[in-house]
Amino acid sequence: MSTLRPFEERYATALADPDVRGGLTAFQRGWRDSRDAAIADLEQQEGRSFDELRAELAGIKDGVLADWEHHLDTFTTNARAAGAEVVRVATPGEANALITERMQAAGADLLVKGKSMVSEEIGLNAHLEAAGIPPVETDLGEWILQLAEETPSHLVMPAIHKRRHAVAGLFERVLDRPFPPDDIDRMVKVARTELRERFLASSVGLSGANALIAEGGAIMLVCNEGNNRMSVALPQLHVVTAGIEKLLPTYADAMRQVRLLGRSATGQPITVYTNFLTGPRPGQEQLIVLLDNGRTAMAEDPDVADALRCIRCGACADVCPPYGIVGGHAFGHVYTGAIGLVNTSFHHGIEAAAGPQSLCVSCGACATVCPVDIPLPVQILEVRETVARSESAGSAGRVTRSALRAFQHPGLVDVGLRVAGVVTTPLRRDGVTAVPSALTSRGPLAERIGWRTPPAVPLRPARDTLRPGRLEEPPRLADQPLAGRKVQLFLQCLSDRLAPGIPIAAAKLLRAAGAQVIVPRDQHCCGLPAYDSGEQDTARDMVRQTMAALADGADVVTPASSCLAMLAHDAPHLLRGDTVEVERAQELAGRTYDLISYLASGPGRLPAGSLDDGDRTPVTVHRFCQASNTLGRGEAIEAFLRDVAGAPVVPLPEAGECCGFGGSTSVRNPELSAGILDRKLGCVDRTAASILITDNPGCILHLRGGVHASGRGVEVLHLAEYLVRRLPVAT
Amino acid sequence: MTPSGPRTDTGRDSARRTRLRARVEAAASSYHELPGWEEVAAHAAGLSDRVAVAPSLHTTQPALAMRLEAEGCTVVVPGDEDPAADVADVPVAVVGGELAVVETGSVLVAEHGLADRVVTMLCQRLVQVVPAEVVVDRLEDVAAWLAERSGRASFASLMTGPSRTADIERSLTIGVQGPDEVDVLVLTGTDPVTEEPTP
Repeated sequence: MSTLRPFEERYATALADPDVRGGLTAFQRGWRDSRDAAIADLEQQEGRSFDELRAELAGIKDGVLADWEHHLDTFTTNARAAGAEVVRVATPGEANALITERMQAAGADLLVKGKSMVSEEIGLNAHLEAAGIPPVETDLGEWILQLAEETPSHLVMPAIHKRRHAVAGLFERVLDRPFPPDDIDRMVKVARTELRERFLASSVGLSGANALIAEGGAIMLVCNEGNNRMSVALPQLHVVTAGIEKLLPTYADAMRQVRLLGRSATGQPITVYTNFLTGPRPGQEQLIVLLDNGRTAMAEDPDVADALRCIRCGACADVCPPYGIVGGHAFGHVYTGAIGLVNTSFHHGIEAAAGPQSLCVSCGACATVCPVDIPLPVQILEVRETVARSESAGSAGRVTRSALRAFQHPGLVDVGLRVAGVVTTPLRRDGVTAVPSALTSRGPLAERIGWRTPPAVPLRPARDTLRPGRLEEPPRLADQPLAGRKVQLFLQCLSDRLAPGIPIAAAKLLRAAGAQVIVPRDQHCCGLPAYDSGEQDTARDMVRQTMAALADGADVVTPASSCLAMLAHDAPHLLRGDTVEVERAQELAGRTYDLISYLASGPGRLPAGSLDDGDRTPVTVHRFCQASNTLGRGEAIEAFLRDVAGAPVVPLPEAGECCGFGGSTSVRNPELSAGILDRKLGCVDRTAASILITDNPGCILHLRGGVHASGRGVEVLHLAEYLVRRLPVAT
Repeated sequence: MTPSGPRTDTGRDSARRTRLRARVEAAASSYHELPGWEEVAAHAAGLSDRVAVAPSLHTTQPALAMRLEAEGCTVVVPGDEDPAADVADVPVAVVGGELAVVETGSVLVAEHGLADRVVTMLCQRLVQVVPAEVVVDRLEDVAAWLAERSGRASFASLMTGPSRTADIERSLTIGVQGPDEVDVLVLTGTDPVTEEPTP
């Protein structure tokens, strides 16, 4: 259930508010520094890696789900033995009715509320207001939002989208006294004085639960402010609202969660208060409401069941580039960030989940910081497929589906782009299509292409130039690691037709290293665009087509790391219903490389200095986000440029963050894409480098377009294009 | 009260407390090692002339109130009728801790009754007193302590520094709804069973 405004409205509101983007960018950067330091400290303390620690906690949570009823029964029995009343409810309606009835029976005329996302999920506040029991939020952020009549935009920092001047103005209006915007201390302290009397006056209190500990029938409740402790301790009736997935078997398991929760949420080793409540205090009643609301259905769906591990730390939002532009009111529903894109459809229906789906750029960053190792990017694409199949996809969905089905036919694509190449010839300038400024400075095209100049559409695709005998033989390197080795070049559909210089440069490099380069004729598209759009049937067909085209057992090298991510990581998942197809996909993945892997550490490994032509112009490197987050590549390109090409590399701040291309995102939500691009180019400016290198064609076209439109003097090059310039001159 | 001999402090204990001090101070609490309750009373009296004592601590350590009064303090021990009103304006409160945790710089406080709870919630400055013998290394030690007592109604809080928030622009502000300041006092010279000061 939800009373939230339509997605389109929330999206437009967020884009129009400069505070959202400005505040969230600073928040994300600060969080990243704190979290990384805290996790590094933990790894040292425990002598284990983050991956090992989160696998342990994920295993505990999975163990609970494997024997869910047993743990629920154990918790219920132990909590009841300690004097609590435990009630399981299936729906928000049941939960609201039960809680309201009990509070009315307790004679409540005011509720003091600690932070509870489940209460937001069920819309409890509105229900209680209607019943004459006004709830008062006591967490500072939640209280600010209640005064502003807004909902939380983040799981942990609910008011992080509001900046200090907005909070000061709100307090001035509501409390009728001045609040200087820079005196945050004063704003914080006012909560103490304003809320203290409510705590003392209220006969009912409500809290959520960070964990339900079966061993002791205890609630674990963490907070920093101390408000939660008062909400649960002072009133005569304490109501706990919790999802049934919050179970942990033992106190020792709870401590494992504590170690990861604070660090992932706020970068703290532990929150100020970690409370363990077992039953009510003397003279108090305690009602524990355990909510299902779609959780059992999630557990029964193997594609999303792992999302029930979530401990609500909010880390997935803190690294999410689109979240940093539009915040949680647009990017999510009640639950925001990546996890919201997964669980919203189960808690609030597919319609509520549909809108924000188009905002995810599939960069994979969320999965790298999740403390319970939820495969969020894969799960989001599963939900996206459900959305795409539903009516909620709307006309945009139907257009996308038709376009992708047409794209499945290489002949059609070929003819279409050759025609476009001819038509746009008068506008072709230095790799871009120079659309007249009269069209890009105002009007409907301005927001679509004004911020990013479209690429030039060449007259001939790369595959034409790469036909046998057409490409000029490049000079050979002194070392020939690939001498006598056959290499199949997978061009990537995008660069084949829109950036042919990239695969051509890759072919030259491979030949210079001694390879016999083959360009299989039947290759087309790995299926990534279709997979990314939720069109999994089309994606599967394209994967099969690619596997057939590359069936020759030779190495496959692609200048597009996105294709490698698709073939190595996503294809086996897509084909999981057929073990023979999975084996074929894995066999192909085992001999497929992106260019940097092939030349830096694979069969084509080039010796140090072999591409050093003496040019010492500084360069900087954007790390393709999926290469960092999905393929686990670190600073391979930087190291290669330094060691093999002798290039001075200036580190790029936030090098592994998405550039904003995001496949269909930049078409469907150009304002969002422009915002992420702006953040990326701002980082490039800070390096003062005049050459920006990366290795994914989608990023390159996007970055080139942004650089051109903004008038920056930065040259954007694919790694292959940069390296081919450094080949020795033919003699 | 039975007089006790001086406790034996090993090098390992000392090293553990050094680590505890670092973590306590990192959590923005102050850390002190004191020989006994007389010094605790002097410490609290140095902070204010009105000091609350948690009822459970008063039960096990009745001499503390007398020592505070001897230092010139008015002592408040909240009763069961309206404990929040009893301590609402008391600036300093003293509570006993069950464990101190080196890993996090936390003190575990068990406070089942309302009168105990309001002391730690409503005071401005909280003094937590922990015998050196219950300084433990890991959160798992806390888990074991809780597991041993499971099955009984209880309220145990692992407290780590003063209350805080960063809800406005992620700007850290110390002192929100709970105490603004926390002092962790580790008793190095007192037998924890008899609570008798070292001669």
